[in-house]
Amino acid sequence: MSNVSKKEFIHTYVQLPSVFPENFKELRLQAKISLDNTAFPTKKDEEWRFTDLKSITANKFESVKSGMLQASLELDEYHLPEARHSRLVFIDGNFSPAHSVVEGMPDGVIVGNLNKFSKHEKLRSHLGTITNYEEDVFVPLNDVNFQDGTFIYVPKETFIEQPIHILNVFTDLENPYYVTPRVLFVGEMYSKATIIEEHIGLSNNIYLNIPVNEFRLYRGAHVHHARIQRDSKNASHISRPVAMLDAHAEYHSYTICLGAKLFRNEPRVIQNAEEVDFTVDGLVLIDGEQIADTHSIMDHRFSHGNSHQLHKVVVNDQAHSIFNGKIFVAKDAQKIDSFQENRNLLISDTGKVNTKPQLEIFADDVRCSHGATIGQLQDEEVFYLQSRGLTEQKSRELLVYAFALESVESMAVKSVEELLLKEVIAYTNRD
Amino acid sequence: MLEIRNLHAVVEGEELKILKGVNLTVNKGEIHAIMGPNGSGKSTLSKVVSGHPEYEVTEGTILFDGKDITEMDADERAHLGLFLAFQYPVEVPGITNKTLLREAYNTIARANEREELDPLEFEDYLVSKLDIIDMKDEFLNRSINTGFSGGEKKKNEIFQMAVLNPRLSFLDETDSGLDIDALKVVSGGVNKISSPENAIVMITHYQRLLNYIKPDFVHVMMNGKIVKSGDISLAEELEANGYDHMQKELA
Ligand SMILES: Nc1ncnc2c1ncn2[C@@H]1O[C@H](COP(=O)(O)OP(=O)(O)OP(=O)(O)O)[C@@H](O)[C@H]1O
Ligand SMILES: [Mg+2]
Repeated sequence: MSNVSKKEFIHTYVQLPSVFPENFKELRLQAKISLDNTAFPTKKDEEWRFTDLKSITANKFESVKSGMLQASLELDEYHLPEARHSRLVFIDGNFSPAHSVVEGMPDGVIVGNLNKFSKHEKLRSHLGTITNYEEDVFVPLNDVNFQDGTFIYVPKETFIEQPIHILNVFTDLENPYYVTPRVLFVGEMYSKATIIEEHIGLSNNIYLNIPVNEFRLYRGAHVHHARIQRDSKNASHISRPVAMLDAHAEYHSYTICLGAKLFRNEPRVIQNAEEVDFTVDGLVLIDGEQIADTHSIMDHRFSHGNSHQLHKVVVNDQAHSIFNGKIFVAKDAQKIDSFQENRNLLISDTGKVNTKPQLEIFADDVRCSHGATIGQLQDEEVFYLQSRGLTEQKSRELLVYAFALESVESMAVKSVEELLLKEVIAYTNRD
Repeated sequence: MLEIRNLHAVVEGEELKILKGVNLTVNKGEIHAIMGPNGSGKSTLSKVVSGHPEYEVTEGTILFDGKDITEMDADERAHLGLFLAFQYPVEVPGITNKTLLREAYNTIARANEREELDPLEFEDYLVSKLDIIDMKDEFLNRSINTGFSGGEKKKNEIFQMAVLNPRLSFLDETDSGLDIDALKVVSGGVNKISSPENAIVMITHYQRLLNYIKPDFVHVMMNGKIVKSGDISLAEELEANGYDHMQKELA
């Protein structure tokens, strides 16, 4: 906790539920104690130095009651063809059975909502076990408030072929409101799955989105996890995705940030046994007055780990990008090979970038490299393309597209790739 | 086709004149060569003609088909049929040759109210041009000039010229960096592209290129001006006596 004399608590900015939701009482009671004792962050906290939180603190967010479901909402345009039999839809945090479909899963696989499986032994033994962020108000807020969420369980040696699409939709409720989406994923030994987690604001309204993800991967489990943030341009989004990996597990995540006024993403991957491989890539395209902040941790606690982080950012107008990438290597965690790179492309004179790699390495036999660059579009490149007949606008668009492309190409799911290409073109074409 | 009248140019926002009154007329079907010492303004002339925003024209005009293009954007000049093969082709990571050329070809076609080509048609068209300079098709899917050798970059410029089929091309030191075999291939390509309907201005330091691509006119540029024009014998004279000699003679 910071030593400021006057502390604010999260109660100042959000209305806590007067009665806790039925399920997971213990988790919620514990979380409530944290909330009562932990101050809301300010710029005086080292981890929040550069991040302007006023799009949260200028509001009071209401909690969304369960059952306020708009079953008739038309969401077809957001469907992914690859996931037509494997889609979970949440509208303002509430599970929508009418919009969801889960068919043809291999034996023993569970893809469903948390409430439905609240008594499941695997759910009970995992929920809330790896999300201990330090001095934190956002995970506890999610804990006390989540109405429902996603539970995915993949049994031993089971492959789920089709990607699972978790679609979080935010509607235009009258008052500013907050939503706390939750995902629990448990992958047993040598299982395999692809998850596409998407957040979409249907309008330009103000809301606060606080998702918490827990991915527990046992020996040899493989997961691809794409996260697409297309929140309302007036929304705030604080994300806490955590993955814990046992031996030979692989976890590859790609976060795409397009929307939200304020986006704070704090991905963490924990190496919990020897020999793991993981990726924490990101692509950020921001303009206007957007703030996109990534504070990541790649936490190597055992030997023989590979990790890779390419965080690419395009900043236009007065937008502001913040990156703090921590690589931890514990004492005796030898033979770690970790790579981190933050590449920023500034396409306006007024955009802002803060970038800070942070390596804390206590083992001696490791290879960790990191780098950060801030660049602009090269006039010579623009002229070269223009001299071939492309308009200046098209030339700039192609160059930004080329910069972003590397991230998009690793998406693994065709329709997501296409969607992102469209977003990149829309971003470079906007006015 | 091209008429440059008393062209003066500076680097945008600076005083120092680089072009100091260039006059040059190029007609349909002609091949011109511009020679001159380092720093005399040859590349600058080619960039000013193609509309590089780094330079500002302070005096004079550039006419293309009688139309004043002095203030036109580079892309509009390309739409009219101007092309510049760069002395130092730019590397553009992440955009393939094919992407650039298809976009360029179709943009030019649109501007001229000609039929655009769909991806499949364009692929065929592109492949049909590979032979002109003996280019391997793998280059089509590589990022523009990225990691190309010096010679490959020059070849790539001529390949782009073959695909876009411009009416007037400036070839800025396309020969430098080419070994003798590559020079033969590239100049053979240029000769195939050359027709009575288009025109070419070559910038070079060496007479050897002129053995392969025969110019109708040779110009000598010094200190921001074309100081002497003639036929191929002018190049031979330069090769024999050097620029110093010519400078003294002119003075
Ligand atoms: N962008 C620029 N900024 C400053 N000076 C420039 C710029 N462009 C050209 N110049 C200067 O203008 C002069 C002419 O340059 P240019 O490149 O046109 O010469 P060139 O005749 O093509 O020479 P070379 O034979 O070496 O290619 C040189 O003195 C050069 O330094
Ligand atoms: Mg030059």
